[in-house]
Amino acid sequence: MNLCAIFFLLAFTAPSWARDIEVFPDLNLKNTSELKEATRVLEEELKLAARPQTYLLIDLGRSTIHIKGRGIGLHHIPIIAWSTSSSEGLKGIHRLVARPPVVRRKIEPGAGIEQEPISLVDMPTDYVLAFNPSLSVTVVPSVAGEGLLQSAVLMGKAGWRTMKDWTSALLTDHSSEPTSHLRLTLSVDHAQSLAWSLVDGMALVIRRPTAK
Amino acid sequence: MRRLLLPTSAAVLLLLLLLLLVMTARTPSLVTPEAPQAVQQPPFRDNAGLRTMQARYKVLSKQLSQLMPNQPYILVDTARNRLYVKHQEQVVLDAIASTGSGTILDKPGGVNNQWVFDTPRGEFLVKSKLTNPTWIKPDWAFIEEGLAVPRNAADRAEQGVLGEYALGFGQGYFIHGTLYTRLLGRNVTHGCIRLNDNDLKGVYKLARVGTPIMIF
Repeated sequence: MNLCAIFFLLAFTAPSWARDIEVFPDLNLKNTSELKEATRVLEEELKLAARPQTYLLIDLGRSTIHIKGRGIGLHHIPIIAWSTSSSEGLKGIHRLVARPPVVRRKIEPGAGIEQEPISLVDMPTDYVLAFNPSLSVTVVPSVAGEGLLQSAVLMGKAGWRTMKDWTSALLTDHSSEPTSHLRLTLSVDHAQSLAWSLVDGMALVIRRPTAK
Repeated sequence: MRRLLLPTSAAVLLLLLLLLLVMTARTPSLVTPEAPQAVQQPPFRDNAGLRTMQARYKVLSKQLSQLMPNQPYILVDTARNRLYVKHQEQVVLDAIASTGSGTILDKPGGVNNQWVFDTPRGEFLVKSKLTNPTWIKPDWAFIEEGLAVPRNAADRAEQGVLGEYALGFGQGYFIHGTLYTRLLGRNVTHGCIRLNDNDLKGVYKLARVGTPIMIF
């Protein structure tokens, strides 16, 4: 009888064990740096997941951008390469304040129902996202797998972007709050996919890489 | 001669200014994955500190998992026009949908006043479940077709265009059926989420009022 009761109890408690999730499957629990960083990110994410919203988690350790809601990974985007000016400025919760404008087509009344909608291919591939507190994320497309002409165009755009970044860095008043920069290289499709999924005011948390 | 000197001195001045800026500016040091400026933390002096940290991490992970829906939820990918019903990690239903076209339509008489036909992104809840819903056509449906907006509410009602079921998730947005099944998989709607009859029936059966809808 007692055995039955224990079995019954176990049957009901099992689902709660099953809900234990590996938030960071790559985390080495014996590495203090990794553990502290993961704990910091989890503390930030808990604040975001407690509210009905979608948010971004950029995991630089695993080179992945996650679109999340309530702690669930809704979609992920692989990062090909990244670089940053300072890892300290990536801490905390950042809110998206500026993103590239979406070019929308206007419906002409009475012209019929099948007017050309916007789609992923209409999204930009090379853009800058501004976050508050001061953080700018530059997204550049990877030229790998592109044709020669397309590669030249993309490289030209990336060069122009770098020049603009440098000019802006040179002309910035250094006495004001420093802006942290994060540069992400994504595939063309993924850069467009990220641009599509962004929402004004969207929150961002970044997990920084740690010493192994 | 004077004409030539002026631009030359201006150029020299600009060059000097740029040189000064370069000298005073802090060179951005780049951190790359190949040579990461990894976050360094002082090591714990004893194992007790590490164990406390591990326990804290586990508690936080548990708290995060408790925020996840423990019932089936609806996930909508507006870029790829897919709707999933998921229960934890398991996909219970996978459907091709149509979501917002992202187009705009001017409101009559308004300056900078437009309808934007996007499917809203974020987290929502199923607020209503309807069978054999009637579409109460909003103003934009008439204006888009170049028709006058009727004054009589009865003239707005249209039967049979939303399919057999509709699930409302607020502000006039619904998951519903469609007559235009050939357009499934494309961004063609005014913000609602369209499904074919079978998938709509499946979603209607699986979802309850209060079921979370995650849209990205």
